[in-house]
Amino acid sequence: MNIRETLGTLSAMAGPSGFEHPVAEQAAGLMRPFLDEANVDRFGNAVGVRLCGKPGAPRLLLDAHLDEIGLMVTGVEDGFLRFRTIGGVDPRMLPDRELTVLTHPSILGVVTCLPPHVLKPGDTKKAIPISELRVDIGMDQKEAERTVPIGTPMVFRGGCFDLKNGRLCGKSMDDRSCFTILLRTAELLKDKPLDVDLYVMGSTREEVSGAGAKVGTYGIHPDYCVAVDVTHAKTPDMGKGRRSNIGGGPQIGVGPNMTRWMTERMVGKARELGIPYDLEVMEGHTGTNGWHMQIVREGVATSVVSLPLKYMHSPIEVLDLADIEQTAQLLAAFAEHLGKEAGSIC
Amino acid sequence: MDILKTLQSLNACHGPSGDEAEVASLLEKLAMPFVDECRRDTMGNLIAHKKGAGSRVLFAAHMDSIGFIATYIEKEGFVRFCKVGGLHAPDLIATPVRFKNGVRGVICLNEGVEPKEMTLEDLYIDIGAHDEEEARAMVGIGDTAVYDTPTFGAGDRLVSPYMDNRISCIVLLMAMEQFQKSENDLYFVFTVQEELGLRGAKTAAYAIDPDYGIAVDVTVSADELGSKHSGSSRLGGGAAIKVMDSSIICHPEMVSKLSALAGERGIDVQMDVIRSGGTDAGSIYTTKMGVLTGGISIPCRYVHTPQEMVDRGDVEACARLVCAFAEASL
Amino acid sequence: MLSLVKELCLLNGVSSGEDEVRAFIREKAAPYAEAMRTDALGNLIVFKKGAKATGNKLMLTAHMDEVGFIVNDITEDGYLKFAPVGGIDPRVVIGKRVSVGLGRVQGAIGLKAYHLVSAEEEKNVPKFEDMYIDIGARDRADAEAAVSLGALVAFESDAVEFGYGMFKAKAIDDRVGCAVMLKLLEEELPMDCTFVFSTQEEVGTRGAFGAAFSVTPEIALVLEGTTAADLPGTDSHRQVAVPGRGPVLSFMDGGTVYDRELFELMRELGEKHQIPWQLKSGISGGNDASAVQRTKEGVRVAAMSVAVRYLHAPSSVACVQDFDHMHALARKWIEAVACL
Repeated sequence: MNIRETLGTLSAMAGPSGFEHPVAEQAAGLMRPFLDEANVDRFGNAVGVRLCGKPGAPRLLLDAHLDEIGLMVTGVEDGFLRFRTIGGVDPRMLPDRELTVLTHPSILGVVTCLPPHVLKPGDTKKAIPISELRVDIGMDQKEAERTVPIGTPMVFRGGCFDLKNGRLCGKSMDDRSCFTILLRTAELLKDKPLDVDLYVMGSTREEVSGAGAKVGTYGIHPDYCVAVDVTHAKTPDMGKGRRSNIGGGPQIGVGPNMTRWMTERMVGKARELGIPYDLEVMEGHTGTNGWHMQIVREGVATSVVSLPLKYMHSPIEVLDLADIEQTAQLLAAFAEHLGKEAGSIC
Repeated sequence: MDILKTLQSLNACHGPSGDEAEVASLLEKLAMPFVDECRRDTMGNLIAHKKGAGSRVLFAAHMDSIGFIATYIEKEGFVRFCKVGGLHAPDLIATPVRFKNGVRGVICLNEGVEPKEMTLEDLYIDIGAHDEEEARAMVGIGDTAVYDTPTFGAGDRLVSPYMDNRISCIVLLMAMEQFQKSENDLYFVFTVQEELGLRGAKTAAYAIDPDYGIAVDVTVSADELGSKHSGSSRLGGGAAIKVMDSSIICHPEMVSKLSALAGERGIDVQMDVIRSGGTDAGSIYTTKMGVLTGGISIPCRYVHTPQEMVDRGDVEACARLVCAFAEASL
Repeated sequence: MLSLVKELCLLNGVSSGEDEVRAFIREKAAPYAEAMRTDALGNLIVFKKGAKATGNKLMLTAHMDEVGFIVNDITEDGYLKFAPVGGIDPRVVIGKRVSVGLGRVQGAIGLKAYHLVSAEEEKNVPKFEDMYIDIGARDRADAEAAVSLGALVAFESDAVEFGYGMFKAKAIDDRVGCAVMLKLLEEELPMDCTFVFSTQEEVGTRGAFGAAFSVTPEIALVLEGTTAADLPGTDSHRQVAVPGRGPVLSFMDGGTVYDRELFELMRELGEKHQIPWQLKSGISGGNDASAVQRTKEGVRVAAMSVAVRYLHAPSSVACVQDFDHMHALARKWIEAVACL
């Protein structure tokens, strides 16, 4: 598979939390070449499975979420759209931001901002709260009301583009870059025998609730799960705390949300294969689907593996394509012989 | 069904989160004529079941209300309390309340505290006791109280405490009354402890494991004076079809299905997107392998204050829409 | 009871690293258990047969974990950076002794010498991200040889009696609950009982979800440690609970409205058998009951707790007699439940 091309397509698709269907269909289609079958389940998650053929084999679930953050129309005022956020949208990203308004067909919108000429001194120093922002769709009140029902979702416009050194910049790297990792992992395992039944899930609604991962995990009932999501990479303006650069390889999560023997196995495999990695210590809620998956049913042995990403939740998220390949290599190594080599808490 | 009279009867019952038995008993009596069986589950949810061979549908309306729980008795006989559900301190000053055993009192603000800086901890209930001993004979630690304000009509609007969520319980009863027939296997669930975090709906939905879920609740309207538009609906605009609140983004198929049904039956509807506030839908949709869930909401002003307001026409529209979904081929 | 509580408090078991505690309890419980297992989150689930064969009807739980820290970076100079695991007030942490990792490497949470602190600085409390643990390492490499990233850090605090019948130790919340359960395990019980020694309660009742799901009880009793704020200067209505007045019986907290009938039963039994008991003058906090109650089709839950001063701090204080009273009341309650 062509990682850059696959991710390019996924990035350009619109699928904010709750409205992921087209992305889920695409995701299922992308999984099919590497698994026995893949479908979109009733809830909206894309789920693929590859059975290993051993009766009573344990189940491994790899998860990455398909939804992106977005906005939702809450009213129409003088032809301009009022809106609220879907997920953690930084309001400072919004003034003069181009959006795709997801009517059928979709239309262009621009988030309003007053020009410098009419601002009062001091205005440019204050961030504008969302309640004061509007979206300009170039229509009058009647046209706007007719075209855009309340409840219409919106996303950042565009997809992604290339920076130097194999770096990619665009929207929805969180978390479609990690779904791309899962595709590549499934590809790497394709001709290798497994001793676990492998489930790959492109889950929905992570950005708002983790509901997709919860119900998906309930249905699959795995013994082991790995949540693959993005994590903050170092940028010049970051505060204190240990952070890695993009290009440093996958970040392996350590802490209460990550079952220790799973973490140790992940680290062991990274060392064995010479895959660059770092440990990411998370003392509580990891902010990933791993938090929800760990407590489904009787509880699931959980690992969280993260891709370093700069400018998370902006339309200009930046990653290193090499990290995608490295992470996929790691996950494939983790999955091989897992049935035989699995640890446990004693 | 006489909406105002039924509302008055329901509000005369004591039913704060965690102590809903009285309301449940009355609702069971009112619901029984329309269904095949009624039962209570471990948490106290009232499940009214109208059997059918087809798809399983769960309609949920929470029967609990917000309220107060006595936590300490001062030596002067004043009663300190904690909240049961979401209370906003400024809404409570000079509000009459009544305890389960009938003791009545009023909520007062510690005179030494500036209203602008008050918190719930600065309030107390005066039950008219002369001292601690007398108060202890009237009220015990752990006793609960509810708003004791009137339920009345104002033009084509209704005003009462606990529109949230007694009006929705009435909507379910009205729908049950209007229901003609369908293949669907219908569960009308009057849930408990929604105000504490959507708790009752979780276990009810687990037991029923429905194909579809609809939460009926009030929603914050955007038509109060000086509205900050935390909602998108208005009184008189019809049944509000829920798109998003803080607990759920409703499945688009449910939103379109409800819109289509409304269109077919000529029911006035509007879209419901609110910034804060959740409903039982948030608990239902993550049951087991997931449930396609939507919401039918009654636009409401002054939510969680002692006097909330809804529009009669909206209430009737909601009942018709619930009925439409119950009768729909799914 | 007291020596059991002492032993348990001295063990280290910060949330997700309960191994020492689990091993100790497993050994003590083994002779009395019909069946014992450890699940995916590390909960130790012990089934004990009783006079009446009631299967999974009754479940008791107490959590094995305590609050602590996790090492999230090692500086060039060999200091350990850390984050809290569970809810900890930063003010009780500065200048305290700690024990790092499985090897129990000794350390102290360092701070600038008082002489060097400005009047302004003295007013403010440093944030966790500004604090550091000194294990005496020379540099990063030296520290890394002793301690790994992700190591769990427990308070270092001995377990002693003091004053009149009072007890000081770390982790009284909830080793006291574990001790009461172990005592009950040793006794003949009127009905079958599943004892769940849960994990990760302090980071969100995490272990309890899966344990309750797999056991699926009808009735559950949570045995806990709870806040006592009975200090001079605290208004009476904010004191919550008081050590020495007996186990605290819960009717409601931030996570659960307890089963009324089961709560009244605890109260009646306390009166009948002259076991002191008290109520909390406040609705706050939560425990494993919030996870258990809403499991599957619902579980009837009750909770009783020992009042502990300075909860979630290295030097917690409780009243020794309360431990025995909680055990006695729990015992009577199980006898009554066996007749329900």
